[in-house]
Amino acid sequence: MEALHIIGEEHQSLAGILHAVRYMLKEITAGRLEADLKLFQAMVHYLEAYAEKRHHPKEDLLFKYLEKRTDEGSEALARLALQHAAAPQRIAALQDALTAFVANPGNFADFARAFDAYADFYRNHMMLEEEAVLPLVRKYLTDEDWTAVDAEFRAEMAANSGKDGKHEDFAGLFSKLVSAAPAPIGFGSGPFKG
Amino acid sequence: MANVLEVKDLSVAYGKVEAVSKISLEVGEGKIVTVIGPNGAGKTTTLSAIMGLLPSSGQVAFDGSIEQVPEVERMVVRGMNLVPEKRELFGTMSIEDNLLLGAFQRNRTGHRDHLQTMDEVYALFPRLKERRHQQAGTMSGGERQMLAVGRALMAKPKLLMLDEPSLGLAPLIVREIFRIIGELRRRGVSILLVEQNARAALQVADYAYVLENGAVKMQGDAEMLRNDPRVIESYLGLASKHQEMLST
Repeated sequence: MEALHIIGEEHQSLAGILHAVRYMLKEITAGRLEADLKLFQAMVHYLEAYAEKRHHPKEDLLFKYLEKRTDEGSEALARLALQHAAAPQRIAALQDALTAFVANPGNFADFARAFDAYADFYRNHMMLEEEAVLPLVRKYLTDEDWTAVDAEFRAEMAANSGKDGKHEDFAGLFSKLVSAAPAPIGFGSGPFKG
Repeated sequence: MANVLEVKDLSVAYGKVEAVSKISLEVGEGKIVTVIGPNGAGKTTTLSAIMGLLPSSGQVAFDGSIEQVPEVERMVVRGMNLVPEKRELFGTMSIEDNLLLGAFQRNRTGHRDHLQTMDEVYALFPRLKERRHQQAGTMSGGERQMLAVGRALMAKPKLLMLDEPSLGLAPLIVREIFRIIGELRRRGVSILLVEQNARAALQVADYAYVLENGAVKMQGDAEMLRNDPRVIESYLGLASKHQEMLST
């Protein structure tokens, strides 16, 4: 069940970034923090690239194994498939709002609203997976399925770790984001330098 | 692989109240073992008793030798190190001086490798190097936790015991702290990790004990417990965790 472990880790990373951006938006709104535009850009990039390139493809793979074993959860899986398909449009809307904010600080409120909408969507997306689908995965996948899916997950992790310089190093990016984010949510070494 | 720590029938009482009752646990060499459980379950008491900070009954075998009555000074000399929940740093001293204090006992016994060890700690925690001349009291919560772990590593411990390393930290920092704990395992450090954040602890650990009301209620491979319906229902609360993260 290593695959479930990996999915859990990735959800925690994504949720950590969502929490961090929301915290910073609230602090900026309250006048206690100045916006670090490059940090916002890097965090939104992480949400987009990590979710789309690394996370969702593995989930789709895992859910295919479930579909082979049962019809139970088919409605939730259909909703998730739609959400995965629509994810690029949602993140594009967020990117547009961020680009507008970077160009003109007067667009901050629009960016904050766009981010809140995205964070709510993504939280509900993860909750749907964890409450409705992952329990079924635990219930229905066979030992043979776990051997196969864990091997596929391990291969994906090895091929895309970013340590070879050919793929983006998301673990390294995450550490940079934690370092640059303001205390108490990060170590406060900002502004983000990339 | 040998066990670096074997605890048998450990009990601790505060007066007539037994806070920990006949706990047995093991930590294999190079493994991360976690003790999870609700507040007041006896997790910190267990660590303190193993370290010799609290009187206890039972048996503690560390690195092959039995300690009938663990004493904190001897446990430190033998290579056990505890990072307490409150970090307990010297706030008016610099970060670097705090780190050097971590190597004090090792220096006293004739080892002179503290500068090399400090480089290793700085490689693990670049933020500490950036701020090495600043006072520890000026650090944020996450930085203090990193310094506390770094100071413990300066002693080159055979067993590192971490008491609630995620306590009071934001989700972003918690993820980073647990990534580093995983990195310590890759470097061969054996770790006994006490955590209320069961989700994060079970993600990083090899083996886990569930403590309730001072007694071990469940134990097993961390992967097995991560997927145990009783643990999921009582301790993981996966979806609600994301809700909590977003509610700040």
